[in-house]
Amino acid sequence: MTLAEELESYLPAGATLRFGQLQLSRTPEGSFVACHADDRTMLPKLEEIDSISGLRDLAKCDGSGEFRPLKTAPTLKSGWKTQSSSAKDFLRRLDAIYPGVFATWVAYDRNEHGPTSLRRTLDRQTGMYRFAGTITDQMANRIMRELCSPGCLRKIAWPLNDQCIVSKIKREPMSIPVICTEACTFAISRARELAKEAYDRENAPGN
Amino acid sequence: MPVSKPDCALLILGHGSTENPDSSQPSWDNADTIEKTGQFGSVHCAFWKEEPSFRQIWPMIEENEVYIVPNFISEGYFTRQVLPRELEIEGHTTIRNGRTIHYCDPVGIHPAMTGLLIKRAKEIIDDSVKLEDTTLIIVGHGTNLNQKSTEAIKVQVEAIRASGEPFADVLDAYMEEAPFIADWQTLAQSPTVVVVPFFIADALHSFQDIPVLLGIETEPTAAASQREVFRQNPYRFGDRTLYYSSAIGTDPSLAEVIVDQVSYFDEHYRP
Repeated sequence: MTLAEELESYLPAGATLRFGQLQLSRTPEGSFVACHADDRTMLPKLEEIDSISGLRDLAKCDGSGEFRPLKTAPTLKSGWKTQSSSAKDFLRRLDAIYPGVFATWVAYDRNEHGPTSLRRTLDRQTGMYRFAGTITDQMANRIMRELCSPGCLRKIAWPLNDQCIVSKIKREPMSIPVICTEACTFAISRARELAKEAYDRENAPGN
Repeated sequence: MPVSKPDCALLILGHGSTENPDSSQPSWDNADTIEKTGQFGSVHCAFWKEEPSFRQIWPMIEENEVYIVPNFISEGYFTRQVLPRELEIEGHTTIRNGRTIHYCDPVGIHPAMTGLLIKRAKEIIDDSVKLEDTTLIIVGHGTNLNQKSTEAIKVQVEAIRASGEPFADVLDAYMEEAPFIADWQTLAQSPTVVVVPFFIADALHSFQDIPVLLGIETEPTAAASQREVFRQNPYRFGDRTLYYSSAIGTDPSLAEVIVDQVSYFDEHYRP
């Protein structure tokens, strides 16, 4: 089944789903509609965005104009809707807002795309990130607690290391899971900062 | 040269930025341009610092044959080490899980870049300015950590000198290693100087850092997309006149260069 066919099966005519901060729905006639979940009761009044590039621009900055490099940050602007009669085109519109998030879920659910442990991600870094892998497990938990949890809608699917066993994320009714199968550039950058701080502490004069 | 690969995906790789909203724009613009031509079954972008990341991209691509073109200026640390590692590819062609993945050369080393640099320099100077009175400076990042970082620019400077274009001089200069772009007034002897950034995007370095080093801004400005006026050439420094262009990677012709790298791959590397 193609990704577009998967999306059609997730969203039959008349259905409504939650996808991150989005509400996805499909009209009885079969058209796909997406809007910010906060706007779900005022669909007719919403401004329509009818291009992929327009949706990409929408997702670029938050309501105060700050750049959103992390598209699954919980800061998506409201006040708009987009619709399409084609599942393939609608998926491209979703990808403009949440790049690859639907495809990642489908591949994960089909067991075609497994999570990568945090240790494995950090240990393969080079250049300025080469020491990121020296963080302790405590620091790793701190990253998840302070960075991932408040700053991103994705549910972590990766284990801390290859020996950890994590239970597979299951789909909940009425939603498409937004999952993280591998730590992102922000987590790696934070790991580098914590590793550097620890190194500087250990090598401070007097230690 | 157009290609016809309706069963193949094209994947354009960019650096992206967690700070500047304009860094990924040229890659998206080129992807949109190429997609409209229908030469590939699908066209995707992936980034080191934005989404979709290099690690997130594979589930999005449904074709079994994929051409990857790095939208990077030079061959080096990123194109030889980071991109192959993150995409789990090796050499020119990788076959994995029934998928054939072709890794093309980065756009910056394509021969057409020389002509684009010349075109960019000529189009931003006023008609009354003579090339014989003008020094063209190609500016790059440069870093003492990697000797190869300046190679792509030196190659371009030599090619422009050999092209017969009557510039008074053609020079290379860098942000972080000598010859420094901050010294442009002593590096160039002519009354007019045109500086073209050999970067992919009008982002942190080319739009915000280099203008400060040139002296046309006193501190880094807002991102290009967040300013009402892009640049107001020319800039006067005593009896010298300076023109500063947008990054070479923003030229719309880069879409053709990306497709050309696919053709080049088929002619030279395809197994």
